Amino acid sequence: MSSTPRRADFWFSIFLIAFGIAASVESWRMPRLENLGVDPLSAPGLTPGLLAIVITVLGLTLLLRRADGPQATPETAPAGWGRLALVLGLCLTYALGLLGRVDFLGATALFVFTFALLFSETGASWVRRSVVSALLAVGTAVSVTLLFERIFLIRLP
Amino acid sequence: MPVLDAFASLGREIAGLASPGILFNIFWATLLGMVVGMLPGLTATLGIALLTTLTFRMTPDDAITILICMYVGAIYGGGRTAILLNIPGTPANAASALDGFPLARAGRASEALGLATVGSFAGCIIGMALLALIAPQLAEAGLKFQSYEFFWLAVFGVVISGRLTALDDPLKGWIAGFIGLFAAQIGQEGIHAYQRFSYGSVDLAGGLGLLPALVGAFGFAEVLTVMKRPAHQTVNTIGGRVLPRVSTLLKSWWTMLRSGVLGTVMGIVPGVGEDMGAWVSYAAARRASKTPEDFGKGSTTGLVASETGNNAAVPGAIIPVLTLAIPGSAPAAVLLAALFIHGVRPGPLIMIESPEFVFRVAAMLFWAAVAILVLGLALTRPMLLVLRVRREYLMPIVFVLCVIGAYSISSRIFDVWVMLGFGVLGFGLRQMNYPMAPLVLGIVLGDILDKNFRRGMVLSEGSLEPFFTRPISAILAFVTILTILLGLGPIRRLTARLTNKAS
Repeated sequence: MSSTPRRADFWFSIFLIAFGIAASVESWRMPRLENLGVDPLSAPGLTPGLLAIVITVLGLTLLLRRADGPQATPETAPAGWGRLALVLGLCLTYALGLLGRVDFLGATALFVFTFALLFSETGASWVRRSVVSALLAVGTAVSVTLLFERIFLIRLP
Repeated sequence: MPVLDAFASLGREIAGLASPGILFNIFWATLLGMVVGMLPGLTATLGIALLTTLTFRMTPDDAITILICMYVGAIYGGGRTAILLNIPGTPANAASALDGFPLARAGRASEALGLATVGSFAGCIIGMALLALIAPQLAEAGLKFQSYEFFWLAVFGVVISGRLTALDDPLKGWIAGFIGLFAAQIGQEGIHAYQRFSYGSVDLAGGLGLLPALVGAFGFAEVLTVMKRPAHQTVNTIGGRVLPRVSTLLKSWWTMLRSGVLGTVMGIVPGVGEDMGAWVSYAAARRASKTPEDFGKGSTTGLVASETGNNAAVPGAIIPVLTLAIPGSAPAAVLLAALFIHGVRPGPLIMIESPEFVFRVAAMLFWAAVAILVLGLALTRPMLLVLRVRREYLMPIVFVLCVIGAYSISSRIFDVWVMLGFGVLGFGLRQMNYPMAPLVLGIVLGDILDKNFRRGMVLSEGSLEPFFTRPISAILAFVTILTILLGLGPIRRLTARLTNKAS
């Protein structure tokens, strides 16, 4: 059995425990609003505090059962971490970098064009891939803008 | 409400929706749902979440009709991908792939698609009839619910959903569920308006929006997942007769009826949903079959059972949404949020405040079922084009829609960040085999759990007794605790050993 899922479980359990403890402390520190005559049993920190304790216990269970518990099934498909990093980079650049700074239409066309071109099948010629990606980009940007702004009356970012 | 009155109200609402404008909406939304369901990676939950954000300027009736058609269409559409590609279009169609794909490989794809269509139609109609019958009764029972019962319903929903969506490893289902419950605590709370975990940020004080979170967990996470794995094969053409033979349908009527009832019941259980509707119906059909060895090798009965079961779970999951404001499944959780956005107040009072709404929803389900029957049988071959769409062309468009969907409701760029954050979280959790449904359910139920727990504690003056002694509370508490105990590793292994020994 691969050791990667075990390692992931270990680090995630540590994260859950740390998060649970931090959230419990923060919930405990929340004001009880007694000066406003609030019943201490309805204090804002009560539920999040209890949930944080449950998360800590679940994290501990995950940590302790690692040795003999069920293992995450290792992925059978070959991993595409490089492709994933590229997708993540493109999406974050579009959503956090371009939108709001560049016009929605232009930003969307640029994003769709780059995405489609980078990931399209390498079998086809470069010119053909560029033309298809450009058509898709312009088509998407124009139709999404028109459809949502004019028909669904939605404000675009 | 007497049975005849319920069906009379249902008939009136069905007739009321039969206008050209509404039918146009019903048909395009169902078709869009089918396309969403067919595309691997796009689920009913994402489809409803995106459409909720895109239709929130419409009148409530139009928007809710469109969302319900998307729901029914997507759960049905996912079956086509399961049959043709052996990839469930949505998680609800996993059981359909077991027999659907062997049928397609044996050159009987058209027959399988036709049977799945009729099964889905039957499931939806049976579920709709049960909705019209059960919802008024459940709403009446719900009037007896107090904070204690609603608290347990919220815990029960997360625990049972965590257990059933992660059968091999319930701990991961519960972790996902409790992360969802905790995420819902961020922002202004509902009793004293205190801003929790906001640290002076106005955006955090507003809380993490449910829809941006869902669009992230189901949309952006899916874009990442789909792009990470290798491309799937496509289908160019299929031959044979689509319209099922009357003799085959007559042989399947009992399977359809049983699966319809089982699917609806599974839908009603909070957080269990369409996939369990399909699996339970499939298992029941195999047990009842004279030839159980055919199951998994291309049994038409198995296919009919799972497709009827998952579509029957759709009306089933809507029953608690309407009557208790507790979602029966992940897509139903989004539907619940959409109802609130459109000013509908679901809950036990619905049969007093607007009883006609329950029957109108049943009528929407009726027309959605008619739409899948007509579109499914008429467009079998043209719809194959959907399966030829390349992921590198589809996924950037999906991401653009996720960004617009997250932004559109409050026009806050913070919501786009929430979408991205939940997308990365959802992707990471999925890579580690954590189910998404309990997370969604947790986010929806977090507020219900919080308010009712604190209210209950104040009402009982700090005593936990009513949480365990009131009859309905006691039953819910018992089932919740039993589910947890039976899900614990050592006990599961012990029961498995005992069952093996016994058999």
